[in-house]
Amino acid sequence: MGARKTLRSLWAIMYYLGFTPMIRNPLFMAFVFSTPFTLLFILFVASNGTALPYGLAGALTMITTELGLFVGTDLASYKLQNRFQDMVVASPVSPLIYMFGVALSELIFGAPALIILFGLIAGQGASLAALVSCLGVVILLWVTTTSLGFFFSAYAPNTQNAFIINGFITTMLSVLPPVYYSVNVLPPYLVPLAVVIPTTEASSLFQGAIGLGYSIEPAWGFGALLAATFIMLLAVSFRMKWRES
Amino acid sequence: MKALTARGLTKVYRKGKQPALDSLDLEIESGQIFTMLGRNGAGKTTFLRIASTQLLPTSGSVTVLGLDAVKEAKALRERIAIAPQEAETIYPLTPRDHVLLGLRMRGMEKEEAAKRAREALEDLELTDVADTNSDWLSGGLKQRVIVAMVVRTDADLIFLDEPTIGLDPVNRRRVWDQLTRLKRTGKTIILTTHYMDEAEALSDSLVIINKGKVMAAGTPRSVKAAVTSRTTRVDVFDSFDRSELGAFGHVVTIAGRYRVLTDASGARRLGDEAVARNASIAISPVTLDDVFVDIVGEAEREGENGS
Repeated sequence: MGARKTLRSLWAIMYYLGFTPMIRNPLFMAFVFSTPFTLLFILFVASNGTALPYGLAGALTMITTELGLFVGTDLASYKLQNRFQDMVVASPVSPLIYMFGVALSELIFGAPALIILFGLIAGQGASLAALVSCLGVVILLWVTTTSLGFFFSAYAPNTQNAFIINGFITTMLSVLPPVYYSVNVLPPYLVPLAVVIPTTEASSLFQGAIGLGYSIEPAWGFGALLAATFIMLLAVSFRMKWRES
Repeated sequence: MKALTARGLTKVYRKGKQPALDSLDLEIESGQIFTMLGRNGAGKTTFLRIASTQLLPTSGSVTVLGLDAVKEAKALRERIAIAPQEAETIYPLTPRDHVLLGLRMRGMEKEEAAKRAREALEDLELTDVADTNSDWLSGGLKQRVIVAMVVRTDADLIFLDEPTIGLDPVNRRRVWDQLTRLKRTGKTIILTTHYMDEAEALSDSLVIINKGKVMAAGTPRSVKAAVTSRTTRVDVFDSFDRSELGAFGHVVTIAGRYRVLTDASGARRLGDEAVARNASIAISPVTLDDVFVDIVGEAEREGENGS
């Protein structure tokens, strides 16, 4: 398949699996919004607005994590329930284009939420450089969690399990660790555990960009996030099952 | 020219006790409708999945359109398409969306894909529901949507895994019409089915497989002729024991009744005996259905006796 056909293929997957469902059923979007913005609202109300920046960093981290992990649920569904993946495998579509198309289709659902969050962060006085660095962190975290989604979808025996596993991991990665709060408030013995979780690094970088100060050294945060991205991509490339054995 | 050649094709699943495919040899001519018949678990879907590059064989080889399905999968995928078994429509896409997705993900240009989608929807008589959410469609319509996703692709060979399962007789014939149309355009169609009438009506050639092995192969006529001594079937409704009927031909049990597969003279003798006993019987030519039950049933009995 040449470059133009490849682009058409990528566009078709994104358009029909992402954009079209979002337009037909906006509830998909509401689903992406619901938990991160609920937690943001609770923090905002409970703190009389003072914890809003933490809420914004947390919501940005959680939405990005959700969007990545939902890819795993989608892939499990296309593979095990719809059998759409069987049609794709026996076609000129490459595994990379399919994965990338499904991942981007999921990102489309989250785009409105991400735009609103970036608007709110800008409203907190974040500079353009800070917003660009936030965007970079979003991309790294998205690639990491998308890879994690792929990884778990390969093991999911059915779509129900895929949904449960991804819901559980979303909570474990974006509610429990210091995502909606600073790593500094954790008891010291939990800090080493928290800093190896990529969402902790991402949220710390968002918190720094918003002006809350970096609770983890930014260079270390970026480095750790990059390493997590690399490790997850590597794990996926070993585990990916395009043709079954 | 051969569209597909399989040699010693074997597949043993990790958790499987028996091979799903057992040294299967097969040849399929280009431009034909080829049907694989077999019971559930006979190995039909496994074969289709290997030939369509979705599954690796344990051993043996399969060449599709001159390309090795294992080593040259990437090149082969440009030339094949599949409608998988038990595929489901994707919420909230419409039938038109599905067909467009099937065409455009293969790299087809927008205008060409739109034109072919219209044709595919017309082919499968889905035009009236083309823009309806697929979730609201009946099971039969959904099944036709899946078939519509592949019928207007530019693939030279199309695999259809039980494409008419769950369809009523009218809708089955609509799918048959499309498969016949596809054949006229020079494409090769390889399908699996449980329906003997479908295989008989559509196939240029067919194979009956059981437990991963080829039990019979050829044209529908030649497969039926393979049981040359059994050209006639006699359904016996009462007055005879199985052991008595064995003297007239090969006895199979259908829904608790006996069916004797025999030749013309056997049928005549049994008819005379039935008249003498005032018994009810019905005589008709054998169908592919009889051949299937005969061959597969025989293999099952041999398996039971052997184990």
